Parts: sequence; C-alpha cells; structure tokens
Amino acid sequence: MSDIITVMLWPFLACLLLPWLLVYYGLHIVKREIIFVDLALAQVAAVGNCIAILMGYTNHDWQTYASAVGFTFVGSVIFTLTRTRSHRVPQEALIGIVYVVAAALGILLLSRSPEGNEELRRTLIGDVLLVTRAEVWKTLALFVVIGVLHYIFRRQFLAISFDPKGELAQSKRGPWWDFLFYVLFGFVVTSFLQIGGVLLVFTFLIMPSVAANMLSRSLPVQMGIAWLFATTGSVCGLVLSYKMDFPAGAAIVCMLGALLLVLGFTTWCARGRKIPQIAPIHAEKETLIDSN
Amino acid sequence: MKSLFRTLFPSASAFCAALFLILGSPRIAQAKINAVATTPDLGAIATVIGGKFVEVTSLARPTEDPHFVDAKPSFILKLNRADALIEGGAELETGWLTALLENARNPKIQAGAPGRISCVEGVDLMDVPATLDRSKGDIHAMGNPHYLTDPINAKIAAQHICASFVALDAKNAESYRASLAKFNAQVDDSLARWQKILEPYQGTRLVAFHNTWPYFGRRFHLKIDLFLEPKPGIPPTPAHMAEIIDTMKTEHIRAILVEPYQNRKTAEKAVTETHSVILDFTQYPGGVKGTEGGYIELMDYLVNTLAKTLATPSK
Repeated sequence: MSDIITVMLWPFLACLLLPWLLVYYGLHIVKREIIFVDLALAQVAAVGNCIAILMGYTNHDWQTYASAVGFTFVGSVIFTLTRTRSHRVPQEALIGIVYVVAAALGILLLSRSPEGNEELRRTLIGDVLLVTRAEVWKTLALFVVIGVLHYIFRRQFLAISFDPKGELAQSKRGPWWDFLFYVLFGFVVTSFLQIGGVLLVFTFLIMPSVAANMLSRSLPVQMGIAWLFATTGSVCGLVLSYKMDFPAGAAIVCMLGALLLVLGFTTWCARGRKIPQIAPIHAEKETLIDSN
Repeated sequence: MKSLFRTLFPSASAFCAALFLILGSPRIAQAKINAVATTPDLGAIATVIGGKFVEVTSLARPTEDPHFVDAKPSFILKLNRADALIEGGAELETGWLTALLENARNPKIQAGAPGRISCVEGVDLMDVPATLDRSKGDIHAMGNPHYLTDPINAKIAAQHICASFVALDAKNAESYRASLAKFNAQVDDSLARWQKILEPYQGTRLVAFHNTWPYFGRRFHLKIDLFLEPKPGIPPTPAHMAEIIDTMKTEHIRAILVEPYQNRKTAEKAVTETHSVILDFTQYPGGVKGTEGGYIELMDYLVNTLAKTLATPSK
C-alpha cells in the first residue's frame, strides 16, 4: 500500500483536489446542451500551446500558458456570439467546427516541431501521472479563485445557464455574463489541460454531471453526487493504472466510463426498468426533492 | 435520499470489492542490486556485467522510440526502489527521465550519487552543434546520443557500469571485473570479425530514417548521411522525400535503415520508386527478431543483415 502512495501521491491529490470545479462547470454545460464546448475550447487552448512550443517555449513556461489562455478568449468570443443567434445553424455544429479546425491546425503547426507527435499525444491524454506538487497547488489556487467568483455571482451564472429564456439571459447584460462564463471556463480548461489532457477534461466535465442528472434534480445534491462520482472514479482509475501498469489518464477515463455504466444499469433496475431520464433542459426553478 | 442510497449501494459495494481484490497481491523481496537501465542496450550490457548479483530492468521497450517513452506507474516504482540507474547521459532520455526521477524521489540515483551511472563519459561524441538552435530540429546540445552503435563505445559503457557495481557492492567486485574483462574480449574478437565482413562495402552510402547510425558508420566506414527526416525529429515532407529519392536513384543507393518505431510507409514509398530495400535495423537488443540475445547478438545481426543485402546484386 505504501508503494502506491510513493508512486501516485500527487496524481491522487490532483484527483481529490481539482475535479470539483470541472464537475460544477459540467452541470452548467450539460444544462446548456453544449456538451462539446469543452472539447472545442480545450483544442483551441492546445493550438495556443502549440504556437508557444513552436516559438521555443516549453510546456511549463508561463508564456505557453498565456498563449493558451489567449486562444481560449478567442474561442469564448465565438461561443458567446453564437449562443443567442437563431437556430438555423445550431450552436453545437459551430462548436464541432471549432473543434475539428483547431485540431487540424494543431497537427499542421506541430508537424514543424521536433516533438510534434509527442506533443499531440500529450494534449490528448496529458501527463497526470507525472503531475508535480507545484502544478497541483497552482491549479488549486486558481480553481479556488474561480470558485469564489462563481459563488459570489451564482445568481447570474445560474440564471444564464439554467434559465436561458429568463430575464437576465435575454437582457443586454446577458451576453456579458455569458462571455465571463466562457473566459473563466477557458482558464479552468487550460489549467487542467496541462495536467490531464483533452480526454480527462472532457471526462471530468461531462461524466459526473450525467451521473448526477440520472439520480437527482436538485443542484446541491447533483453537485455532491457528481463530485463523489468523479473522485471515486478517478481514485479507482489511478489504482487500476498502478496495478495494471496502464497510462494513468486513459485508465481514469475508462474507469469513469465503467462506473457510469454500472450506475446507469443499477438505476435502470431500481426504477422499474425505465430508461433513466436526464433532467429536462429548461428546468423549472430548482426543487430540493429527489426525482422519485 | 433513501432511494438514492439504495440505488448507489450495489455499484459502490461492487467497486469496493474490486478494489480490495486488486490491492491484495503480495510482492517478493530481493537481496540483489536493483539496477534500472533507461534503454535495453544499456540493460543488456549491465546484465552481462552484473551476472547473478544484479537484477536489471530496462524502462524503454526495445521497439519504443528512446526520445519519447510513455511514463507508466511501474517506472516510478522501479526508479523508487532502484539501487542504480544506468543512463546514456547524452540527453537522449532527458525528455521523459527528468519528470520520472522527480516523482520517484530516490536519493540513491539522484545526479552525483554513486548509484547514478552515466555511460557517456569518455565517449567521443559526434555531431556536436556549434550553436543551439531549435529550428534545426530535435538536436542534442551534447552531440548525437546514439553512441552505443559503435562497439568500442559499448566497452566504455561497460567500464562505467562495472566501476559503479564495484562501488555499490565491493564484496562481489571480482565477479564484476571478470565479467567486464570477458565482455571486452568478446567485443574485441567480434569487432575484428565484423570489420572483415563489412570490409568489401567500405564507402557505401546508405539512407536512414533518423540520424541514428553515425557511430556505426564511422566504425565500419559506411556513409550513412541521408535521412528521410528533413531535420531530426521532423516527419518526412513530400519535397524532402522527392529530393532523397532523386539522390537514391542517381547514386544507386541500395538500402534504407528503418527502426521498429519509425514510419515504415515513408520508407516503402522510397523503396518502390528506387532499386533499394528496407533493412530492419534497431539500436536495441530485442528490437528486431534475432537480436534478443544481447549486445553482441544485436551487432551480429546488424552486420550480417547489412552485408547480406549489399552482397546480393541490385534488382
């Protein structure tokens, strides 16, 4: 048992201390039905990374981080502007387009870099096994700041995500809150991208949120379930990675997937074999009751 | 809340059970010196020198690109428990080894410790860049790190490994020294044989995927100076390929040296357009079938395969 701590101490701490904010964002994102926005933003951030690397900075320089964040700002502007537009072109389509173009651009850019292939792989699956103490604390500090901002402005942020036809979302200030939402999200994605890669970012955002939506409709309960799900899954994933000697990031993703499958099946059995419903999108004001 | 608990309970208990099962396996204690080699070539030499007193494991697989090795949990554990770390020391492994060592937190193999064996000292490195410029590709400040493809350098590495084993385990010093002497004699004998086999082909020009073979080329008087990569680490581009194919045609170049982790397709394209063949080369024992035996067997394979190809008349 002590061996696993020796090897996995910082990855474990990263999985205990960091996913809560991603999980919270995930609840927003599933509600907004923009599931792939994080993949797109992560990929846009990766383009920023690639450019910095081509300019000779390493993955750990602040310039690389700044470039990645700068690119997610551009992404944020695109997503803010496209949210309120008509439904002739669904936003999900634009998100998909941003994703593939950013991914292709990354490949073009990195074909000129000696470590290109390696770097592409790293953006995808990350280096969660080799996360350092400094990275964990720095990212946690940033997450706490963003978490506090979300707490202070919770009324506005919840209104624009959970009630898009409501007063605030439709007002002139609505798009600005949207923009702020994406900018903060950009920081979260970029920071976690350095540790976990695109796959892990997506996993922590979407899977816990889906699990929570299966089991409850109340936001605080959902938050609790989602956090518990993410933490349990990632700790089990790390143990699996250790025992089977798998790459850590991919093991976490598969473990969370398996956990979601088991959860879905149990829910299905427990609820008289009805397909578990994801809570309706434009949910009525939050009620603190369980869905049964 | 009660129904929630009821829903979650079966899945939670199933996962706990699984967790206990995989955590329960015991581990075996050992009294031998625990040596970790970064690459299998160093591992093979260390195994010969250490004999029955040293347990050697290599981190990189023989078929893996030594510049980029995927970090796995077992690597950290192996490094954490290691008494000695054997590395090339010419920046080949820096990209992945540094972060692993930081996580392994093992003072016995930190830089400067007697357990840290850098084999490069005393090697005459080639291609040392005059200036460091990343636009020239994946260059190493110290020079080309693939020095073990020259058997004389293998003797230098064996010397370092032996000295370190003697320092770590003085009571078996005699055995280590005897193994070193035997290895050196074997290399000297074989080298004479290899040089004789390749003598008829002195000055032959060959293409390689990556600049892995300058030391091999220098020892056996072969000109391995055309590469499918436009710059080290940069994947082949169409324009560069056209240029290489052109040169191959005009100079009647007979073979392209390709290692297991390199993109065979690009080499195949060049082969179909010229009168050449692909030679499966590897720097590592076990990288290609027939090289598993160790360093001597690896060099035997390389020399014989090359001689056989060059001996057959061109298509």
